[in-house]
Parts: sequence; structure tokens; C-alpha cells
Amino acid sequence: MTDVMTESAQSTPQSPRRSTRRLPPALRVLRSPRLARVLFLPAVLIFWLISNKLIADSWGFDSSVLATPIEVWDFMYAEVTGDTVAPANLYETFGISLRRLGLGFVISMTVGTILGIGMGLSKAVNAFFHDWVMALLAMPALAWALFLSLILGFGDKGPVWAVVLAGIPFVIVNVREGVRSTPSDLFDMSTAFGVSPLKRIRHVLLPSLFPFLFAAARYALSIGWKGLVIIELFGGQDGAGWTFKFWYDAHRLHGVIGYSMFFVIFALVLENVVLEPISRRVFKWRPSLNQPDIVEEDMDVVKYPALAGESLSDRDTIIQEKN
Amino acid sequence: MADIKISNLHKEFGVGDDKVVALKNVNLEMGGHVFVSIVGPSGCGKSTLLNILSGIETPTSGSLAITQAGAKAAPGYVFQAARLLPWRTVMDNLLFVQADKSSETRARCQKYLDMVQLGDKGDKYPGELSGGMQQRVGIARAFSIEPDVMFMDEPFSHLDAITARSLRRELHSMWAATKKTIVFVTHDVGEAVELSNRILVFAQGGILKDDINVELDFPRDPSDEAVAVAKANVLKKFEELDLLAT
Repeated sequence: MTDVMTESAQSTPQSPRRSTRRLPPALRVLRSPRLARVLFLPAVLIFWLISNKLIADSWGFDSSVLATPIEVWDFMYAEVTGDTVAPANLYETFGISLRRLGLGFVISMTVGTILGIGMGLSKAVNAFFHDWVMALLAMPALAWALFLSLILGFGDKGPVWAVVLAGIPFVIVNVREGVRSTPSDLFDMSTAFGVSPLKRIRHVLLPSLFPFLFAAARYALSIGWKGLVIIELFGGQDGAGWTFKFWYDAHRLHGVIGYSMFFVIFALVLENVVLEPISRRVFKWRPSLNQPDIVEEDMDVVKYPALAGESLSDRDTIIQEKN
Repeated sequence: MADIKISNLHKEFGVGDDKVVALKNVNLEMGGHVFVSIVGPSGCGKSTLLNILSGIETPTSGSLAITQAGAKAAPGYVFQAARLLPWRTVMDNLLFVQADKSSETRARCQKYLDMVQLGDKGDKYPGELSGGMQQRVGIARAFSIEPDVMFMDEPFSHLDAITARSLRRELHSMWAATKKTIVFVTHDVGEAVELSNRILVFAQGGILKDDINVELDFPRDPSDEAVAVAKANVLKKFEELDLLAT
């Protein structure tokens, strides 16, 4: 039986191991995912340079209008070192936007969590807010940007409210689903052991909500950031979105691309330096994340060494004989 | 050791045409250092009775008294699945059901972890343990509150035969050492005969059909002839009561 299965597995045409063997050893490195990841950046740069050349040749552009990778790099380096012709440097600009994002995020998480818990616990509360939450979900960030700029003007209020309104429906929906999927079996266990309601909320309800709260926070930050950039771009006097538009108005493509790159870097830093470490800490109990060695049942093998390699019925017999 | 008195206990689920009778006017008394098993086919109300005894569900009618020396007895519960908090360590799972976290309480929890051979796993998370070890944590948790009466709902039904047998032995040792009253639900007649000195047989509709005393010395070995005969006798009762067909 074992031989047949082994032979069958080896002869499977889709077997990846077999197809790898066809490549000479020197070329096997081409299949490496790590190499593929490293090659992505040079591929983008080559594509960028070729595109610049083709666009300039086919449409008769002055090629100086198009930004080269070196120009973007020089721009970004100058911004990072504080050397800029914009009204505010990179740090002041992102400081303004992050203050707005932070304030909007705290409001959307607080209000969204309260509403989400209410909607998860009560059908009436859910019915009252449901359609409005769906409407908020469907509203494009651009509509909020124009609407809030008109009614709140060009100060801090509009951008903060844009973050709140863009993020809050995602918080509400996530928390509501979290409350609906709280583990009833753990609540029953707590009841059977006479655990107090306060202790149940703290040690059962809240930890079971953490994955949903974390997902809500990620959405609120990412969607809120996009909403913030758009309202700063259309109705701001400062901030990252406004500075992005400043370089657009100045017809400096390297500035537009450079600021886009700063947005990407900001998102990566937020994810890898802030969110991911918090996630690892909060969810360290999840085996899939910290990948501990699963502690296997070893008692029977220690007690009954003869069990190794025996079938289940044979094991029963061995135990009976042993005892 | 607790005393349990159940009078005309009745439980229904649903309303109108969807109404289902889970327990029908059950009358029972048990108490002292006994190990009572409740057996019967699926859907006969075994787990419902245990849930009512432990306070998870309330009866539709009838009365129930679980007392220890005249006062309300403290129950412990072992579930079919271990039902551990996955975000808390093994020791913290035991501490979760305690009234305090004093050093005496910690020492008591450690004692019961030692009894189920998991004394060195207190800082592990449930996800790092096998199913059998998780169930042992569940047993240690129930014993760690030092209850007057222990309710167990098919605690070994999800485990492989070897692990279940080991845990049955551990459970018997703990019952003998702690002198608890244990009410144990199982669908395995052999398990009931191996562990219990009293077996309650339930039939569909939540009807208590028989009350069998198993008068054999402990510990019982399933391969022992007397145990095998006792098991055969209980199965014969099942046949007489027409329970095997259900």
C-alpha cells in the first residue's frame, strides 16, 4: 500500500518538485520568491525609464516635463533634509496631517465602538442606524471633501470630520459583527462557574472583540487617511494633501511622484512599525502568529513505549496487557 | 459531597407546533460520594438536565435543590469541549474561575494541574496544547474551585481512545481522592460502567426510564470479565426498554 502511494505521488505530473528538477542548478535561483521580490524594484525603474522615452518620442513632449527616478530621489532627499520651496517642510506638513488623522481616528473609534456594540446587542438600535451606516459606507470621500469644505471652511475641522465620517462606518460594522460573534460557549462556561458579569465583560467579551477592533482600527486609519488627503487637497490650506496639490500646481511631476512615495512610505511605516507590533503583542496567544511548538500528548508513549507505530486497536491491547 | 433533589422537573423548547419536550417530569435524588452517569440516545435530554443542574438553563417547571450541609452547594463543570479562554494561559484559565488570585489560590490551581500531569504547562496558551491536554486543563479548572458537586458533559467524547482511557483513570483517582459528588453524562455505556456506581437511563422525550446500581469494586478495568458482564447487562436493559432502536 505504501509503495503504491509513493509511486503514485512521484508520478503526479503537477508535482512542483519534479518540475524544479528539470532546471539546471544555476537557473533554479530564478524560481526563488526572494529574488522575485528583489527584482521588482529594478523592473519598475526600467519600465519607468522606457515609458518616459516612449511618451516623449510619440507625443512630442519636452522630456524635461517628465520626472526621472533620479529627479524624484533628489526631491525626496531634499524634502527629508528640510530643503524645500514649499511653504512647510515635510515634517511640519505630515505633523499637521497626523494631528488631524489622530483626532479623527480617536473620535471614529470611540463613537463607532459604542454604536457598534449597541447595534450588535439590540435589534432595535441596529434597525435605527442600519440604513444610515450603509449610506455612510456608500459615500465617496470626494463628496465628503466638497461638502465639509463648504460648511466648515478651510481650517482643521473639515479634515478631522472627513477622517471621522470616512472611517466610522467601517468601525461600526466591524464592532457590530464582533459583538454578534462573541463565543456563547465561553459565556455559558462563565455562568456555570459563577463568574461575575464585570469579569465576563473584561475577560471574555473584550478579548473576543479585539480582532474586530483591530480590523476596525486598520480600516479607520487607511480610509480616514485617504479621506484626509482628499479634503486637504480640495479644501485645505496646509497638510500633506495640500502640499501634494502645491507640487501639482507648480507643474513639478517629481514633486507629485515624490509626495506619492512619501504616502506609500507613511503607510508602510504605520503598518510595520505601529500596527504589526501591536497586533503581535495583542494576539500572541494565536498559534498561527507566534508559531510555537505544539506540545503533543506524550504521556501515553512515555507510559507505554510499545505504543509507537501500533494501530489504535493494538494500542488498546498493549495498554490492557501492561495494566 | 452534595445532595441533589429534583422534583417534577420539566423542560420544553420552542412554542406551538415547534415545541419540543426535552425533560418530562423527572424526579431524582442523589448525594454523597457517588459517581452518577446519565446515559441514553442522542436528544434524550441528558445535556439539558446537566445544563439545568449547573444553572446554564432554567426549567420550564418543577424544582431543584443542590445543597451541601443545608446550604447551596458550589458546582464545578467539565464540558464536552474544554471551553478554555484562548487568550489566557493555562494557569490564568484556572484563575479566571476563582474568587481571588491569592498565593493560596495559585497553589491550589497548581496542585490540580499537577494532578492532571500538566504542572509544567501553566504558562502555555490553550492553542499550544493538544486536545487531550486541553480537556485535562478543563478537568483541573473544575476541580480547582473545589466544588461540592461536579457536572461533566461527555468530557471524553472528542478524544481518541487512548487519551480518553488515561483521562478516565485520572478522573477516577481524583474522584476517589476528593470525595466529590459527580454527575456524568455519556453516550458510552462502557464508560458509564467503568466509572459509575449508579447509572440513570433516559429515553427520547426526556423520560427517566431506569436507575441502575453498579455494585463492582473500583478501580474497574474494562477488560475485566465482571465489568464486561455489567456492561452487557446494561445494554440488555437498553434492549428491554427499546432504546437501541432509537
